Parts: sequence; structure tokens; C-alpha cells
Amino acid sequence: MKVMIVDDEALARERLRRLLEEDSDVEVVAEAANGQEALTRCQSARPEVVLLDIRMPGMDGLEAARHMAELDPPPAVIFTTAYGDHALQAFEARAIDYLLKPIRRERLTQSLARARYLNRSQLSALDEARPEAKGRNFLSVHRHGSLQLIPVNSVVYFQADSKYVTVHHAEGEDLIDDSLRLLEDEFGGAFVRIHRNALVASGALKGIEKDNAGHIFALLQGTKNQLEISRRHVAEIRRLLKERSKSG
Amino acid sequence: MKQKQEQQLEQQPEQDFFLPDFCGLRMVFTVVLLSELFALILTVGQSGTSMDLWSDLALISFFMQWAGLSCAGVLCLAHRPLSRLGNDRAAMVSYLLLLIVIALLSEAAYQIGVATAIQLVTPNHLEFLLRNITIGAIVSALILRYLYVQFQWRRRVKAEGEARVQALQARIRPHFLFNSMNTIASLIPTRPQVAEETIEDLADLFRASMSDVRQLIPLKEELSMAERYMCMEQLRMGERLKLELDVDELPMDLLLPPLTLQPLLENTVYHGIEPLPEGGTVRVSGSRSHASVDIVISNPLPAAGVSLREPGHHMAQANIRARLEAHFEHKASLQVEQDEHEYRVRIRLPYAGKP
Repeated sequence: MKVMIVDDEALARERLRRLLEEDSDVEVVAEAANGQEALTRCQSARPEVVLLDIRMPGMDGLEAARHMAELDPPPAVIFTTAYGDHALQAFEARAIDYLLKPIRRERLTQSLARARYLNRSQLSALDEARPEAKGRNFLSVHRHGSLQLIPVNSVVYFQADSKYVTVHHAEGEDLIDDSLRLLEDEFGGAFVRIHRNALVASGALKGIEKDNAGHIFALLQGTKNQLEISRRHVAEIRRLLKERSKSG
Repeated sequence: MKQKQEQQLEQQPEQDFFLPDFCGLRMVFTVVLLSELFALILTVGQSGTSMDLWSDLALISFFMQWAGLSCAGVLCLAHRPLSRLGNDRAAMVSYLLLLIVIALLSEAAYQIGVATAIQLVTPNHLEFLLRNITIGAIVSALILRYLYVQFQWRRRVKAEGEARVQALQARIRPHFLFNSMNTIASLIPTRPQVAEETIEDLADLFRASMSDVRQLIPLKEELSMAERYMCMEQLRMGERLKLELDVDELPMDLLLPPLTLQPLLENTVYHGIEPLPEGGTVRVSGSRSHASVDIVISNPLPAAGVSLREPGHHMAQANIRARLEAHFEHKASLQVEQDEHEYRVRIRLPYAGKP
């Protein structure tokens, strides 16, 4: 069985590796110290099981698990944590496996034996479990057959056409599966709706422009594209810009 | 010196005794005031002619002051023996004493009245005595009852205050405990000696967190505990956590509540360094002015856009603030300063030592 260890603490990884190496069936194929690293290694080393620490700097374990579920085939995930994060409460009900540190040898063997990749309802439990409840830090997109991460704070806007949502970000644009409404719910105040088909990063919003025909457009930082603001959203956008200029 | 010790011994039972010290100037003044107040009530309440009001007031005031001060004097003299009786019995005995004093004074007043032919309020001997004793009994009962209730209230306030201070016990995050256990488990097979030292440090830290909160410890001890705590975190986080100490200016005999600095360092690690993938440096620096000492603990803040750990509830800060206040009142403080790159907590402590 191919296993990957993800933990930001070297000593914690060291101990897990030692425990795992006692089992002749297990091969530790990779180690990673944070979520982003874990996703990259995961794609090259193709572990069957990932032992994933919940609290890590940058991308935490919960978000990393979400992105890992996008891989084909997705690895089985076992979370590790030192102490009852609120996360665990959300897990109890969905039977997501987790191990409490310091991890017991028997518990580890048991967990490895029954590890399965996360199903849909377990993935939604991950969202519930994220303590900040302010959405992912990254969006994952499939590009040339591999999973790429786009930092949410580099996104300028999302635009929907009849079938897909395109995310425009600092590095270019990509297609994603999420609907605008779900994105709006997930990221709340960080993005504002300016049109039925467009969701804009509020930080990128610079101003408003009117053309001769009376259409109103949003001026955005980081792109030359002008997006139309629909009538019902104009007042709110104006208010937002005004508040911002007041607060300096 | 010997006298001072005796005084302290005397004060001990007084803490649990409901009667205040009637020998004190403040109490005598209160007695005079109260007596005059009752004299006024009695005079106004009498259905005499208004012509006699002033002479009546003078006479009754004279008697009331006499009675009030005599009662105070008796309670002053009997204070020590009474305090040995326990509150319930002392209350009864002092009530009896007061009644006897009032009865004796009334008799004396009547005799003086007859001898000097001052017109008394009631000429009948028995009626005069009964009236005075009834009034005295009611007033004494009211005052004793008041003193008793006040005593109970004081005692409750004090108990609540103590309970509050007890509840301020510094708490170490359970996260830290379990992470350390995990670190120790990792170290045992490869570096048993470091594991052993880590267990010793952990024991010291928890011993301090369970110690009596009313006690103060010298800064030297607190700093060494803080350093050992940081060593444990460095074991766990490796290169990511750096500590800079600049405390040469601080007087090592400065007294402060145990675990004043450690919880703040724990905050810097938990909120400041852990969320940073590349880690950072925690700084502890100290400076002193003529009557106080400042200790500043700072950590870098992540650049905007990096996801922060859920904001704390400032439990540790509130706890430390309350403990500092309990010990030093307004002379100590805890302040938070923050700019774009840094989060600083400044603790100010009083220090009376030589500069």
C-alpha cells in the first residue's frame, strides 16, 4: 500500500514514518509539509492513502482533502490532529476517519485497513468543519490533465456563460465547475455580484463608467475587460465604492 | 516590633467578627451622628407644643448622645471578649449589654431630673424607664441587625473576589499539551535525552499553571519558564520559529504573577508563527523607567491575503489583564499595538527597586 504523510512538523512526520515502516505492506511514497506541497506530491507519487494533518500553514488539511478529491483516482484520506478541533465534530457523523496524535500503532493499522476515498457527503462535511467558514483559499482546475491551484485572492472575476463558469485570475483564465451562486455563497463579502452572469472581487473594483448608450460598466484592477453592471446591482456597487472612499 | 506582631494577631479574628471596632474615631463620629438623628426623630415625633421644641431637642439630644457614646464605649471595651464568643452569641450578649446600659442611664437620668428639677418629658418614673428601654431595645436591635447584614455582605463580596482570582488561573492550550506529547513520542526512540528534558519542561510549565494564583514570582523564573516553553515549540516547529530575547535591561528580581509571559508567547506562536509557511521571529524586549518596567512581545503579521487562523477571543490577554489588576491595580497594564507588519503586546509592571 502506497502512503503519503502530510504534516508541518518534522518530528510528527518522523514518528509516523517509523510506525508505518514497521508494516511490511506499507510503503511511504512521499512526505509534504503543507497543503499545496501535498497536492503536488500527490499527483506525482500517486499514493493510495494520505495521512493528512488538519492544522497546517498556508493550505490546511481540510482544504487539501477537498482538492485531492478532484484527482483521478482520488486517494483515501485519513486526518490526523493533536486535539479536538471543531472539525472533529463534523467528522463524527460522516464517518471520516481521523487519528488523534500521538497516534497509536493499532489505530493506525486499523485506519489503513479501512481507508476509502471521501464521498460527496463527506466532502461537504469538510466545508462545515472549516472553522473560519470563509471558503477555500484555492480553486482547483484541471489543466492539461493535471490539477492546478488558483489562489482565490488572485481571482479578478468569475463570468458565467450558458454552460460554464470562467474564472479570470492573475495568471489567465480557466473553466471551473462551480456555479456563480455557490461561489457567491462560499466567498461572501470578498466578491460582489454585478450582473446575473458576473461575480467580481470587491478588492479589484476600481470604479464605474457610463457609455453613450447609458450602459454602466465596472472598471477592474488587473484586467482591461469591461463588465456590464446590471440596473438592479448599480446602487449597491455605488454604495460599496462610496464606503471605500470614505474609509480611505 | 513585638507590638506590631501583637496587632496583627489581634486583627486575625476580627476578619470573621461582625461588630466593628467602636473605639475608632470614625465609628465614634458615626455614633454621634446616629444619636443626633434619633434625637431629632424623637423630638419631632412628640406631640408636645412647638414652643418647647428647642428645649426638648436639647434635652433629648443630651440624653441620646450620652446613651450612644456609653453604648459605644461598652462595646469598645467588650470587643475582644465578645469576639471570642462567635457571632451569634456575641450578638445576643452585646444586645443585653446595650439594654443594661440604657436602663442604667435612664435611671440615672431620672434621678438627676428629680434632683435638679428639670422638667422631664414624662414625670412617671416607671413609664419613663419603660419608654426609654423600649426605644433603646428597638434602636439597638436595628443597628445590630444592620451591622450583621453588612458584615455578611462584606464577607460574600470578599469570597466572590477570591473565587474570581482563583478562576483566573493561567491556562495552557490543550493543543500545546497534545502536540508536546506527540513530539515526545517522536523523540523517545531517536533522541531519548531530549525527550526526557522535554518532559521535565512540560512538568514545570504545568506545575506553574496549577500554582497558587495569589503568589508572585521573580522575573528571572518567569523568563526561564518562557524560554523553556519556546524551546519546546522550537523542537516541534524547527527552523520556522525563532526567538529573539533582549531583556538585559530588566531587573531580574521584579515580581509578577506566574505565567504572565508564557500565554502571550503561546499566542504569538499559535496566531503569529504557525500560520506562516516560512515561519518568523518572536521578539521579547524589555525596558525600564523610574518606577515601572515595560516588556514587549511581538510577532510578525502575515501579508494581506494569507489566510489567518480564526481570530482569538483574547482570552489569554483578558486573563493576564485581570490578574495584573488583581495584584497591582492600575499600576500595571497590558496594551496591544498593531501595524501592518507586526503585532505587539506591551506589559507594564510597577518596579520599586533601585535603578
